[in-house]
Amino acid sequence: MTSPPTTLGTGTRAARWARKHLFRTWLDSALTIVFGGLALYLIFRFVLFVFVNARWEIIQVNLKLLMVGRWPSDQLMVMAVSVAVLGLWVGLIAGLVHRRQMRAGQSRLTAMTGGQRVVDLVRRFGLIIGTVLLLLALTNTNGPWLMAATTVVASVVGRVIGGAAGTRVLPRWVARTGVLLLALVPFAIYVYLSRTLALADWEGFFFNITSAIAGIILCFPLGVLLALARRSKLRLLQSLSILYIEFVRGSPLFVLLLMANVSLEFFVPASIAPSKVIRAIVVFTIFTGAYLAEIVRGGLQSVPRGQEEAAKSLGLSPTKQMGLIVLPQALRNVIPAQIGQFISLFKDTTLAGLALGILDLLEGAKAITQQPDFRGQGLIIETLVFVGFLFWVGSFTMSRESQRLERKLGVGTR
Amino acid sequence: MTNEQVFADATKAVGEAIIELEHVDKFFGSFQALKDINLKVGLQEVVVVIGPSGSGKSTMIRCINRLEEHDNGRIVVDGIELSEDVRNIQEIRRETGMVFQQFNLFPHLSVIDNVTLAPRQVRRMPKDEAERLAMEILERVQIPEQARKYPGQLSGGQQQRVAIARSLAMKPKVMLFDEPTSALDPEMINEVLDAMKDLAREGMTMIVVTHEMGFAREVADRVVFMADGQIVEVGPPEHFFTNPQEDRTKLFLSQIL
Amino acid sequence: MTTTEGSSRPPFYRDVRVLKWLFQLVVFAIVAAIALWLWGNFRRNAAASGIPTSFDFLSAPATFSIPGADFNPNSPVRSAYVVGFLNTLRVSIVGIILATVLGVLIGIGRLSTNWVVSRLSAVYVEVFRNLPLLVLLTFVFLGVVLQFMPPIAEAWTPVSWIIVSNRGIGVPWYEGVSGWALLLVLAIGMVGWWLIARWRQRVFERTGQPSRAGILGSGFFLVTLILGWVLLGAMLTLPSIDGRQIIDGIRVDPSFFALLLGLAIYTASHIAEITRGSIQAVPRGQGEAAAALALTGFQRMWKVILPQAMRIAIPPLGNQYLNLIKNSSLGAGFAYFELTNVTQTTVGNGSPSVPAFFLTLVIYVVISLVTSGLVNLANQRFKVVER
Repeated sequence: MTSPPTTLGTGTRAARWARKHLFRTWLDSALTIVFGGLALYLIFRFVLFVFVNARWEIIQVNLKLLMVGRWPSDQLMVMAVSVAVLGLWVGLIAGLVHRRQMRAGQSRLTAMTGGQRVVDLVRRFGLIIGTVLLLLALTNTNGPWLMAATTVVASVVGRVIGGAAGTRVLPRWVARTGVLLLALVPFAIYVYLSRTLALADWEGFFFNITSAIAGIILCFPLGVLLALARRSKLRLLQSLSILYIEFVRGSPLFVLLLMANVSLEFFVPASIAPSKVIRAIVVFTIFTGAYLAEIVRGGLQSVPRGQEEAAKSLGLSPTKQMGLIVLPQALRNVIPAQIGQFISLFKDTTLAGLALGILDLLEGAKAITQQPDFRGQGLIIETLVFVGFLFWVGSFTMSRESQRLERKLGVGTR
Repeated sequence: MTNEQVFADATKAVGEAIIELEHVDKFFGSFQALKDINLKVGLQEVVVVIGPSGSGKSTMIRCINRLEEHDNGRIVVDGIELSEDVRNIQEIRRETGMVFQQFNLFPHLSVIDNVTLAPRQVRRMPKDEAERLAMEILERVQIPEQARKYPGQLSGGQQQRVAIARSLAMKPKVMLFDEPTSALDPEMINEVLDAMKDLAREGMTMIVVTHEMGFAREVADRVVFMADGQIVEVGPPEHFFTNPQEDRTKLFLSQIL
Repeated sequence: MTTTEGSSRPPFYRDVRVLKWLFQLVVFAIVAAIALWLWGNFRRNAAASGIPTSFDFLSAPATFSIPGADFNPNSPVRSAYVVGFLNTLRVSIVGIILATVLGVLIGIGRLSTNWVVSRLSAVYVEVFRNLPLLVLLTFVFLGVVLQFMPPIAEAWTPVSWIIVSNRGIGVPWYEGVSGWALLLVLAIGMVGWWLIARWRQRVFERTGQPSRAGILGSGFFLVTLILGWVLLGAMLTLPSIDGRQIIDGIRVDPSFFALLLGLAIYTASHIAEITRGSIQAVPRGQGEAAAALALTGFQRMWKVILPQAMRIAIPPLGNQYLNLIKNSSLGAGFAYFELTNVTQTTVGNGSPSVPAFFLTLVIYVVISLVTSGLVNLANQRFKVVER
């Protein structure tokens, strides 16, 4: 019996890897050298830019403007409270969902120790944590630090409570009111915020985030109805739905926003003068609803026909068949696609800034380069890099979470 | 038994007829899946339907609870005629239970929620009463300990027994089985067949489409053989398997036995 | 044993068929009510504001000029629409070609065994897929073009016949012959290539000799091009700087350039993902079977993997092309006079907004439907025959 070839230590192993992956053929080596050099050069220039050459003062000075626009400075507490409550809410939901998954035997978290769980969370959300820390470092007051700390604490508390609540079998009225309250939280936060500053004046990154959330929430009923109509065997319903979906999907969002800027007032009674923000949200709803309809339609198609038949043969009415059996499964099957649509919408909120003149993060970044202190210094590069970075972190993290969810749900492989 | 006596059996129920099919046709486009079906099923009778694939057996029982619409003829279940009348359809669906080849359990609901769903939603039973009923039935099919689990966590045989329990919870007068064991691994077939045998012993009226000849011999009151959309031969199992009359029947039996 | 009267019709309010129609009617009534309310508001508000609502504005003189095109401000608005439409097509078609070439290369690079190439491709895709297009375009336009492109006096000329400045990029172009004639030559070349490929394919099938269709076909194409050029008397014009202008050659508008670059870079990242995904979706067994049959690496790719990957890729690719066409509307924010910009301008100059934008939307929807139709056609043509 011959013994397997021995490895001669890490040096040789690294060299072997390099030969295989970097220098296999002459062409390969050439590619490595050219692109490797290019990459190193780009990294060098980028690092130089970020840490040495760039003048980040413009961001530091204008951070509040970029984040929340012209929100009254003495009312920032309201913002902080809202963010903390949101953190609590997210934590509660995460806890409840986790419990439900554990009961269904779908969670692998129990296999991880406490320490491993922390590492897992850091790996998933490290980018966001880092970005938040970066933003905090740019501020010069204590407020934001307190807000961040409170939010983290609130989220953890929510998660614990949600996890605990999920294990107990609660009396029916408690469970029902609990769910109702949870569903109402976003609306309550909206009311709370709009009492300090009307919706029409919401600006900055705050606008981008909230308008995206509003758009995706409001477009949901529309999208589901359109999908059901499209699947219906009733010709009229189906045709109307197809007409709407194809027309909206064929239109560029930018044109719809431009149109809303000048035309929306024609379609509503003269007494209502919709603000720019409302116009943006209306267009987002109309637009995303059509895309969501196609996603939900795919979900409905993915539910096996037998489910509907079983529900039918049990005597459930068509409405109950759809609402209790088919639709829940359909929506769950396309969660990744829905998240993808939200990410798209989130990035597209920048179009509302340009089309309607709303001072969102991007418009704000352009505007601050015209301030007397900063004009004419080519600082647009710094501000655009900052804007791009913020959007990129949000989009990249959500995208990665969606992929993770997709793997976990095993969607399509059941 | 003479030919005439054998054929007369199809139109004469053992006991009071709870299901009647008269001159039923069913077309899928230009293809005729059911040709002049005449059958009466009596109260507490167990009728087993066998035949080659494509013979229309599944189509026939799916017409009974209106999962398919018959084109000609009459179908009457417990005195209610199956027609375009929504109320009739809903009532018939309440009185019949169906067990599918693919189980079709609702994956997003736990076992006990699967079983209590219809009683609570359709018969408006209060939750506690429904759960008590559900646990009783789950005990009858011998899986009470799985009540809080989800279908995905159960084996095929367990899932099918939950499906049986789910239909039983509606206290139907008739149970329809569409090849209930065809999708099961061999070692799990018996647990389902046992549950079905218990049901038969307790006096449930059952129409079972299956390939399990042992079950037919043991439990059936009558065996119906279908081929090419028609009922070819009907008879009690002791005569049917040992002395089939029609050539088509003999051919089929020789292929599977 | 009780029986009901044979097949009597159930009362209408329980009849399944009647109920279906009733439901449709109710939904139609609701939708019609909403539509009528909107329409009523529209009529009332339009009348009150005195703004016309017909499409007559299309015949009115435009009263604005379009930089980069010789457009007479007195031409009717509909001519402006045509110019805008052509500009949209121009940036879209060039953009689609660039994005596809770049995207496919990067997608294949992502699967390369060379670690550097594969990582770089991954970084490219992850960076640009997650950026909002508008941020990228703003960066390219305000950052790169306006910041880094030198003013005309200090234009950068890497070679004598390319001029880069913030007034545009000058590259050589043809002159002395009509564009249509050159297009005809191109068409002849391509048809010839295709015919030669078919002929050589038949030779290969009959005799087993390698077809060499690629070499012969492209050779013919080149020869046709050169011959056509010479025979038609076409000449090259080289750009040069005259004071503050770029004359001769052709001037690529900085707005066009920025829009094109942004669209191409962004869409390429999506196309790279599609390419990678569709190649990976081809079952591994296919490549293994091909290798077991002693096909070379190139043959495996070309004859077995890529054809199957292409089938998978057609629908999502078509979708990205559609997105690019729709995204070209952002040119309106960067002084490129495509269709949306034209609409925006004419509305700003007094045309009624609702009909103007509605017409524009209809045009985009038609472009969308045509493109979808073409994608479906391609899909049908390449579908795998199944049982």
